[in-house]
Amino acid sequence: MKKFFNVRRVLSIFLLLSIAWTLYAGWYKMTFWGFDLKSDATTDVFMVDAHITFKAHGKPVKVVLSTPHGYSKFKILNEKITAKGYHVKKDENTGRITLSSPNRNGEQNIYYRLMVYDTADSRGKVRQEEKITIQKPIFDDEQMIVVDNIFEQAQNIEGNEVQQLISLFNQTPLDENVQTLLPVKATRKIRAELLIDLLALKNISARLVHGVRLIEGKKAAMADLMLEAYDGYKWRLYDLQTGHEGLPKNFMVFQRGNVSLLDVEGGVNSKIRFSVLKSVTSSFEMAEHRAKLSSTDKFFTSSVYALPLWAQNVLKTLMVFPLGILVVVLMRNVVGVPTMGTFTPMLIAMSLIETGFVPGLICFVLIVAVGLILRRLLATLNLLLVPRIASVVIFVILIIQVLAVIGYHDNIDVAMSALFFPIIITAWIIERLSIIYEEEGFKNAMTESFYTLLTAIATYFVIKSDTVRHITFAFNEINLVILFLVMLLGTYTGYRLTELKRFYPLLKRK
Amino acid sequence: MFGFFKIPQQLKALGILGMNARNYNVISKYNKRRLYPLVDDKVQTKEMAVKNGINTTRKIAIITYQHEVKSLKQLVKDWPEFVIKPAHGSGGKGVLVIKSWKDDAFITASEKILSYTQVYQHISNILSGLYSLGGQYDVALIEEMVHFSDVFQNFSYQGVPDVRMIIYKGYPIMAMMRLATKESGGRANLHQGAVGVGLDVKTGRALTAVLHNKPILRHPDTNADLTKLCVPYWKEHLLIAAKAYEMTGLGYLGADIVLDKDKGPMMLELNARPGLSIQIANSAGLKKVIKKALKNYPAGLSAEARVDFILSQN
Repeated sequence: MKKFFNVRRVLSIFLLLSIAWTLYAGWYKMTFWGFDLKSDATTDVFMVDAHITFKAHGKPVKVVLSTPHGYSKFKILNEKITAKGYHVKKDENTGRITLSSPNRNGEQNIYYRLMVYDTADSRGKVRQEEKITIQKPIFDDEQMIVVDNIFEQAQNIEGNEVQQLISLFNQTPLDENVQTLLPVKATRKIRAELLIDLLALKNISARLVHGVRLIEGKKAAMADLMLEAYDGYKWRLYDLQTGHEGLPKNFMVFQRGNVSLLDVEGGVNSKIRFSVLKSVTSSFEMAEHRAKLSSTDKFFTSSVYALPLWAQNVLKTLMVFPLGILVVVLMRNVVGVPTMGTFTPMLIAMSLIETGFVPGLICFVLIVAVGLILRRLLATLNLLLVPRIASVVIFVILIIQVLAVIGYHDNIDVAMSALFFPIIITAWIIERLSIIYEEEGFKNAMTESFYTLLTAIATYFVIKSDTVRHITFAFNEINLVILFLVMLLGTYTGYRLTELKRFYPLLKRK
Repeated sequence: MFGFFKIPQQLKALGILGMNARNYNVISKYNKRRLYPLVDDKVQTKEMAVKNGINTTRKIAIITYQHEVKSLKQLVKDWPEFVIKPAHGSGGKGVLVIKSWKDDAFITASEKILSYTQVYQHISNILSGLYSLGGQYDVALIEEMVHFSDVFQNFSYQGVPDVRMIIYKGYPIMAMMRLATKESGGRANLHQGAVGVGLDVKTGRALTAVLHNKPILRHPDTNADLTKLCVPYWKEHLLIAAKAYEMTGLGYLGADIVLDKDKGPMMLELNARPGLSIQIANSAGLKKVIKKALKNYPAGLSAEARVDFILSQN
């Protein structure tokens, strides 16, 4: 009976476990840290500025501002309030900020800045409150006739009662009946308040919601409004222009319910103006903030992503190595091509990434060719092995130096890319090539260099993609999968591809 | 085109051993790594062979240090002919056969005349590890030259024709003769263009011959009829191969044996990772033979008994 736990089975189990772990960790990082499979995934970051102005006249001042806390679950990157000489206090439960100062005089400026990201889908539910008592408006008889007309007209419009009225209020030209009930210069707010009065007559509780629509380039605009109406079970939000129900993705609620957006005591003529500026940040950079928000920052701080940037960059280069190694293993043990040195092709591939494919390849062939000529000259000197290779290493350094200078002066990329090739490896390639050439002839030397370059090029094309390099770093558990894959390949006993050709004549003879 | 995908299956049916299977299923299973130095170092192999009463080429001298190189002429002064080889070399690399020498002229087997400086340089290269695996420091082994038997006179173009035998658990299971050609430059490696002649392991008679993987009947340079090739003293060849097992403890090894016209078969070197070309020369698969041996060949026999067992097989 065969052993149940043979090497291959154990490795397969580990491979499956590592795949499962990679998938779980991938899901975790995508969900909590906002990692993306694409290397260039970005996150919109909005900077919302609220500018509060009012006039104080020598009395103690108290300003209360409602902020998005508790209402919308936009992810807040940072929050800052600039108010010289004010004592600032924030109520963490309600998100209301209270600023107070004794004896203020003249024009007052208070700035509240909020940086938020992730406008979509991550906000959860808006906290529900009790229905408010309806305060019916008082209209005279004449007005009541108009109101009745409005209701009658509204009935013919699509949607529920709230949406019908909103549509009516947004007709162009404006419905005559509505016009009659409004003052000459009606602001959006006055219109919205009339809407609430009319809804009250229909026994529907309604109220205003203040907030900001995150639209790029908004400057010193008044707070955006939405309507909230109680449908008997819960509060529903309506867009005041379109009548659409629900919270739009780009609407950030500052205030709702029975508190006001801005209260100023001890000052007059208070105003609040909003500006919005959009910037785009790499999703990767937001990971730490996301980790904090999702309280997974304990794992985050112990991950590689919490390292200083330079260390991360080094690791990013390292993390792609296993994949390159996998390619080399495949080329040697499954395809079966002979290469100069085991990992030489991978190191050439890494250099090609720095230099660019065509210039790098031309430059590399150039360095090796010049090196070979010098090495032939060296052969006539009959030097001992170590000093000879040492000389080749110095040759390579000098060639690189000359190429770099020529490349810089004449602006030739091909020559400049010489700087990126590993010196020792290149020297060994030259030494080995010249020995193969001497001992086994030109043909064998060419075959071996061809296969080495072929493997290098194959490796290059696998690891050159930004996405691949991003994935091996951002989802670095995948390297465990590669590890067990390489180990499993270590137990591969099938024929190599080149052996099929080698042994093929045996089939014909039988 | 679709036939391509059937090749692995067909090769498997023939019992052809692939490189991965050789390394994983055979070598790593039967050859303990600590035993490798015994065969990788030709000096050790030679000493052991002498101790075990196995006929081998005589050692003239060993050059270990650079300063000893200049005493070369002194060391070989009684030897009109000799061979210099790296103790850790493989595949015939770095082997220099000197047929005759006088003062500053060294004539090689391929009639090339080398100066003393060139020979000196060659030994220096050996010492600095040019021909050794991994490039570590090596020693140069100077040994007597083999006068290969006249039987092979026309079968080889220069070079020394040798018999390569594969030994599994002490049983010689496959054999071939390697004949140098003009193309191989006197060397006996098949991939360099030497002729491989598969030999019947029971009789030492030629079965099939290949050159560059293709079957041939005559030697490309000497035009000798390869099917007529028959190695004399075959039992002695087998005995040397079988004894190599006890000597090294390696369960799977290759032995290179040459036939000297005066001294009979001599062990040249051993190999813990013998190549797979022997299958092409024999038109037969090693895996098949190994399977057969594993099943039917008894364990615990002496070297002589094993050879008798092989000879009694049909």
